[in-house]
Amino acid sequence: MASRAAPGVIGSSPSPSFSFRSAASLPVISLPVRIHANGKTNKGLTVRAMAVAKFKGTQRREKHLTEMIEKKVTEAKEVCEGDETSDECKVAWDEVEEVSQAKADLRLKLQQEKDPLESFCQDNPETDECRVYED
Amino acid sequence: MAICPVYTTKSLHSTCSISTPSKTHLGFHQKQVVFYTTSGRKTSKRSGSTSSPYVITCSVGNSQTVVIGLAADSGCGKSTFMRRLTNVFGGAAEPPKGGNPDSNTLISDTTTVICLDDYHSLDRTGRKKKGVTALDPRANDFDLMYEQVKALKDGIAVDKPIYNHVTGLLDPPELIKPPKILVIEGLHPMYDARVRDLLDFSIYLDISNEVKFAWKIQRDMAERGHSLESIKASIQARKPDFDAYIDPQKQYADAVIEVLPTQLIPDDNEGKILRVKLIMKEGVEFFSPVYLFDEGSSISWIPCGRKLTCSYPGIKFSYGPDSYFGHEVSVLEMDGQFDRLDELIYVESHLSSISTKFYGEVTQQMLKLSDFPGSNNGTGLFQTIVGLKIRDIYEQIIASKTKTPVEATKA
Repeated sequence: MASRAAPGVIGSSPSPSFSFRSAASLPVISLPVRIHANGKTNKGLTVRAMAVAKFKGTQRREKHLTEMIEKKVTEAKEVCEGDETSDECKVAWDEVEEVSQAKADLRLKLQQEKDPLESFCQDNPETDECRVYED
Repeated sequence: MAICPVYTTKSLHSTCSISTPSKTHLGFHQKQVVFYTTSGRKTSKRSGSTSSPYVITCSVGNSQTVVIGLAADSGCGKSTFMRRLTNVFGGAAEPPKGGNPDSNTLISDTTTVICLDDYHSLDRTGRKKKGVTALDPRANDFDLMYEQVKALKDGIAVDKPIYNHVTGLLDPPELIKPPKILVIEGLHPMYDARVRDLLDFSIYLDISNEVKFAWKIQRDMAERGHSLESIKASIQARKPDFDAYIDPQKQYADAVIEVLPTQLIPDDNEGKILRVKLIMKEGVEFFSPVYLFDEGSSISWIPCGRKLTCSYPGIKFSYGPDSYFGHEVSVLEMDGQFDRLDELIYVESHLSSISTKFYGEVTQQMLKLSDFPGSNNGTGLFQTIVGLKIRDIYEQIIASKTKTPVEATKA
């Protein structure tokens, strides 16, 4: 007779022990993480997803800075190959530092500013884009 | 306050024109504003029936701009310290509206933060050609810095150049109006003696090499172009110039915030738990150092115990007098981390002379900005306390200055 077999335990499969999966049983270590505004945690070397950059101008800027960093780092490495204490070497790494800082600032700004229109409208509520009508 | 802004007269009936004398080559606005009325037909409420010009003179003596200097290596105006500081005074600090989007200046209701990188005399290509880093004083125009800071302190608006960190070029200047509190932040606020004398209070943020390395790794490791070696090489290459030009400014600072790796965890090289020292110079006018329990004595205090439970590694405070570059100082030190709100309020209730206006103000400020880095350790705590101290200094300076009225004389 065809009847639906009741779900039963087939002899050979081991019963999974889920009890160890709960986080409560893991030792509580205060992990040195930097919690970002959008809730993601930066554990060491993972690349942060820039999901916030929706606007073309911002994306372009970000890309430009990233490429500049790469370029300047390779430049600095080349210049310093000869003499590590030369002025050119110092200047090259200083440029790398400057551009890295600019990129970091952009990243910070992106985390804060969710919508450029909103901040524009805060300053200019009477413009056409920002008019609010209450009936 | 004697600011003399330029007004356009769209609201008056008679056609008026305002002529201001031409600016000097340094971009200063003269202190006198001259009003002309074209015809005597319609008179505005204020002016008389004649068409004689009115001259309003702004007197210099009642300038109430307080100038604070902050020496930091971490970029301009966007640093956490600046945001905490402006938060103490209220209002969010934002770049000037409608101006250059790459401006480094931050303006809030009471404070304006100027980035000293704007006074670079050489842009990126110029520095490359000459072989000087941005840390080198030869890349900066200290004369212009002095003149403009002096002008702002005297209540005169200035046209300050903009250094664009993205392009590496010097952009056209922006107008800066004198604020109540002017903060100049950058690499060389105390380098030039004349600028140093203009500062009412100065702070130096001293990050030790290990912590600097750890922070820069956090900042740059997500970048494609960077690797551990490149970050290390960058710090090493800048170190000689840093030690030669920036570090010596420590001795002139009224307050030094020194950030070191923790002593609570042996062999800790993560740089996450920090030991922060607040070194406060004694004898500075209007500045009363923070102390623990008894001013002038040496205290070592671990707040964790029966009344307060802390998680590993806990918190340790110490306070005591010391000598720093030949000056008498008081040093308040915190090692460890805050994990909970009640730890913070407990510590706050035991600190003295923190210049709060109500109980729990430090905790409230820290909570407001709890997503900023350093909110759970001594960096955030001491930056907030220094912010409150600056507010206190500002109020004392204002109270001590005598106000002279603006004179309006008929020409």
